[in-house]
Amino acid sequence: LSASELEEKYGTSINKGLSSSRAAEILARDGPNSLTPPKATPEIVKFLKQMVGGFSILLWIGAVFSWISFGIQFAQGAESPFDNLYLGVVLALVVILTGIFAYYQEAKSTNIMASFSKMIPQQALVIRDAEKKELPAEQLVVGDIVEIKGGDRIPADIRLISAQGCKVDNSSLTGESEPQSRSCDFTHENPLETKNIAFYSTTCVEGTATGIVINTGDRTVIGRIASLASGVGNEKTPIAIEIEHFVYLVAGVAISIGVLFFIISVSMRYKILDSIIFLIGIIVANVPEGLLATVTVSLSLTAKRMAKKNCLVKNLEAVETLGSTSIICSDKTGTLTQNRMTVAHLWFDNQIYSADTSEDQTSKYAQPFDQSSPSWTALSKIVTLCNRAEFRPGQENLPIMKRVVVGDASETALLKFAEVILGDVMSIRAQNKKVAEIPFNSTNKFQLSIHETDDPNDKRFLLVMKGAPERILERCSTIMINGKEEPLDSEKAEAFQTAYMELGGMGERVLGFCHLYLPENEFPDTYPFDTDSMNFPTSNLCFVGLLSMIDPPRSTVPDAVSKCRSAGIKVIMVTGDHPITAKAIAKSVGIISATSETVEDIAKRLNIPVEQVNRREATAAVVNGMELKDMSLQQLDDILCNHSEIVFARTSPQQKLIIVEGCQRQVRGQGKGWKPISQALQGAVVAVTGDGVNDSPALKKADIGIAMGIAGSDAAKNAADMVLLDDNFASIVTGVEEGRLIFDNLKKTIAYTLTKNIAELCPFLIYIIASIPMPIGTITILFIDLGTDIIPSVALAYEKAESDIMNRRPRNKKKDRLVNEQLAVYSYLQIGIIQSVGAFVTYFTVYAEQGFLPSTLLGVRVDWENNAINDFEDSYGQEWTKYQRMYLQWTGYTAFFVSITIQQVADLIIRKTRRNSIFQQGLFRNKVIWVGIFSQIGIALILSYGLGHVTALNFIPLRFQYWFVAVPFAILIWVYDEVRKLFIRRYPGSK
Amino acid sequence: MGNKTWADLAGEMKTFLWNPEERTCLGRTAKSWGLILLFYFVFYTCLAGMFAFCMYVMLLTLSPYTPTYRDRVSPPGVMIRPYLNGFTIAFNISKRSTWQPYVDSMHHFLAAYDDKVQEEKNIECISGQYFIQGGNESEEKKACQFKRSLLQNCSGIEDQTFGYSRGQPCILLKMNRIIGYRPGAGVPVSVDCKVQKGNESDLRSVDFYPGNGTFDLMYYPYYGKITHVNYTSPLVAMHFTDVKRNSLVPIQCSLHGKGIVNDVNSDRFLGRIIFMLSIGK
Repeated sequence: LSASELEEKYGTSINKGLSSSRAAEILARDGPNSLTPPKATPEIVKFLKQMVGGFSILLWIGAVFSWISFGIQFAQGAESPFDNLYLGVVLALVVILTGIFAYYQEAKSTNIMASFSKMIPQQALVIRDAEKKELPAEQLVVGDIVEIKGGDRIPADIRLISAQGCKVDNSSLTGESEPQSRSCDFTHENPLETKNIAFYSTTCVEGTATGIVINTGDRTVIGRIASLASGVGNEKTPIAIEIEHFVYLVAGVAISIGVLFFIISVSMRYKILDSIIFLIGIIVANVPEGLLATVTVSLSLTAKRMAKKNCLVKNLEAVETLGSTSIICSDKTGTLTQNRMTVAHLWFDNQIYSADTSEDQTSKYAQPFDQSSPSWTALSKIVTLCNRAEFRPGQENLPIMKRVVVGDASETALLKFAEVILGDVMSIRAQNKKVAEIPFNSTNKFQLSIHETDDPNDKRFLLVMKGAPERILERCSTIMINGKEEPLDSEKAEAFQTAYMELGGMGERVLGFCHLYLPENEFPDTYPFDTDSMNFPTSNLCFVGLLSMIDPPRSTVPDAVSKCRSAGIKVIMVTGDHPITAKAIAKSVGIISATSETVEDIAKRLNIPVEQVNRREATAAVVNGMELKDMSLQQLDDILCNHSEIVFARTSPQQKLIIVEGCQRQVRGQGKGWKPISQALQGAVVAVTGDGVNDSPALKKADIGIAMGIAGSDAAKNAADMVLLDDNFASIVTGVEEGRLIFDNLKKTIAYTLTKNIAELCPFLIYIIASIPMPIGTITILFIDLGTDIIPSVALAYEKAESDIMNRRPRNKKKDRLVNEQLAVYSYLQIGIIQSVGAFVTYFTVYAEQGFLPSTLLGVRVDWENNAINDFEDSYGQEWTKYQRMYLQWTGYTAFFVSITIQQVADLIIRKTRRNSIFQQGLFRNKVIWVGIFSQIGIALILSYGLGHVTALNFIPLRFQYWFVAVPFAILIWVYDEVRKLFIRRYPGSK
Repeated sequence: MGNKTWADLAGEMKTFLWNPEERTCLGRTAKSWGLILLFYFVFYTCLAGMFAFCMYVMLLTLSPYTPTYRDRVSPPGVMIRPYLNGFTIAFNISKRSTWQPYVDSMHHFLAAYDDKVQEEKNIECISGQYFIQGGNESEEKKACQFKRSLLQNCSGIEDQTFGYSRGQPCILLKMNRIIGYRPGAGVPVSVDCKVQKGNESDLRSVDFYPGNGTFDLMYYPYYGKITHVNYTSPLVAMHFTDVKRNSLVPIQCSLHGKGIVNDVNSDRFLGRIIFMLSIGK
């Protein structure tokens, strides 16, 4: 479309712009030019969700039952009905407090992210009413004429009508790391490819342009991608599934035992009201009230630890997701690579040299090539002089590699390369004064400048040139070998071709360099160089050498990739880059290992057509985006499961999404290899890294989306579950390690917590069946669950790994559950029962020493609890008032409580390890465990002796010796578990 | 997962319950189940053994005559007779059926205190001093006579209705037994009664038997039910001769003496007792 047609279409004028009133109208019609943020769940809904989630609903039921029974008792005028009122209040408090706690934890981690999304209000230069105005970008409407210049963010989708050297960085949209030039020419059908449209949220790198706004807000290309992202549903995290499974399991046990004993107690002719109170007790005993809070704390501790290692976790549960990850789809640019062009190879004197590409190159001595050759001197001079890039001033103290450079990526690379080897480039340039220059353009594909030399006796001018190697070679007639110009014959040209092909084949960008000393007689001091008419020779030059550049891999990445390998995680590279570059980087970081071949490689080696190669033989695959487009899902699955090393190149955002979904369909087969399965639910846990807006749908779709903290766009960070602060792939691996560790440790925590539930439950069951005085009160149980047990169970999160967790395969989502049958049975039916027995011994001891022998206690419940009987006879003929009995009963509670606490210490110690002996793991390595143990005993001491006089809490100062009654059982637990671990180590794999 | 039908689920359940191919029930073969059950049988038997052993050792440390600790049971609590099912004694003089149960309860309770029974089983002791019996702990201890006739008007010997038929009910007060306890530290514990809450004049006169409502020292200490077989707790009878009629009168009777506690809020039966009297025409 021509400019006038555009004017007509958008009802605007290029010179005058829209009128303010017209703009206001359109603004009213289209809405402001901003992306609608994803719908946030209202805070109150989040809060209420915490209040009814998990076990809360069970506890609410308990509380309501307590109040009902209080109401009934109160109406009947019984003597001490307030117990149940208190209990109900306490239960409600427990739910509300744990709810608030969980809400607070979640809010805290959300807040970290909220800070990311804060954007500075953007201004745009708009022509309206024939005047240039600065307007907030939000007020832009379709048809507005905007002017942009280098450094600006494009305020909307814009059709350019004039442009001067305009380049935009589309990386956030398309993932292309190179700035794209923009002009007003229509070049492509696809709006994404054509050169005359600049997109919202991309940045203009250099030049200026004017254009008409054609789309605003959510209708922009980026807006559509963003809405695509919000359209992708969030998957439940694996740990959420595990915890849900666990809650169901425990709630199932609680409800079924509760109902069973409700029926038993009703059929034993207990009053319905009493039966309800038993039911509450059983539920409270069965539900590990503190556990969910503990899990949250453990996860956030790990999240903190990960944040220190540069993994910022947005969603707490993502901590574990990372641990169960089985496939990582990684971006290339910035994640695997350093995201800056660096000189990787040189070719001069007929030889290829490699250069240092590490992140922190400082001295020229680190460069591994021969710097004594005169050819290198010539080459280095061209590199230094034929370069427009400059360091921003004021960075002299920074390492060279960290300095900011004005100029494009290749020139920056060359500048830094020269600065490292030659020292002060700027002064060299100053000594070789530039007299003329032709900047790079896409038609001649070279850059040329003419300089005075730094040798005062040499009055010649030096013409230096760099550009596309084949173009440069065309202009040369000689070539420099060891400092001497030699004629460029076909043999030398052949050598050049080979070198060029080899460097190009490594996925590197190759530049050619040549020079010419202009003869003094023809070009005297005063010669007027004119770059337009080119009144100087541009052919028959002397070819000096080639330099190739690449965005080199980060030095930590190869190690991280091999760690992933040994941890059974498949690393797939997904990039928008060229397949050759992608493959080269994949090879250098080990995503494609040195020995494996792609189908194409095999074809080349065997010299047969690609079609004849047995696809199964190739372990690696490089898939082009174009090929992917024509593939069916089956074919994609086929590739994903038959090749262990895969690179996807030239992929679009949509394709990235398809790849992620494809990965999620895979499941690890028995033994080795992968097989696809039809049910999408059970696939692999896929982690995806990304930084651009274009990645956000894939980030969202992935089980765990990892955004880049430095290079990442806000949209990507919003869609991700985790942010890598240093953009480094290696950080993901440490994250995986932490994630796996926390899963192991959560298992220990849960086993620890579940054990004492049996010791809390048994008293109720025996109370109902044998009619003994109540051994432990409901409130006392809550003090164990939320008091003594909390710190020790958190302490287990600090436990070190038992073996090298990174040598293990990722856990199977279906098989390696957080809570499995064995764990539950072992905790409930073995250790839990030992604990109950130990606690009962203490209980009977306390009663017997006060005059109630065990034989007297059986069947005594009805009279014992009768308020009117105040001369209740014990085994010795003494008579007790009701309150004296109650006091004794509370002493029993305290004794039972103390016994459980003492045995939980043993439980804590045995839970430190699951297979290894405690002596292998070391008792003192985890100091926090000891904090846990001391806190546990300390809290128990405070409860018994400090709060022993607060009636409502039912704690009594206990005789000192009762603290030791359960010690033999604690030792039994330890010894028993050591024996079990010994058997497990001796006979692995059996029951 | 989501698209399984109920039939599939039922089928799966059935295979889980009994899998004919692998001959497994609930996912385990008979042999496996057998091993598991054997394991748990042995495990629990050992645990039960350890429990029994611990209890046995614990019981060995106890004396059969005196409990190890008596701190929870003292100071003594108080109970009254007649006791039917609460602490309200309400009756109409004119209606025999309303007070007869109380009278029956009193007779039943006092049967053990019949003069004849007491003379037969127990010895006469010296009043005014503790009856301390030394010797071996396991020797049988003698008990002092507490004859029903000591209760005079409340003995139920002359007035078979304990005054209930005349609207002047007798109520017996009993102090809880505590092994080795010597109440009053040498001075007999006495009893008094007053209106608990309300008009003092509702309760105009009370007679106490025996003595002036004291527990004689010779009945203490108590040596426990194994050796002190025939011990009968001493009683104080309270004869409410003039109580306001036709209204519910709350009465609190308390013990007084050294070491007696009668003002703890949480325990309303410790050294005192509160009951209601309601005497109608």
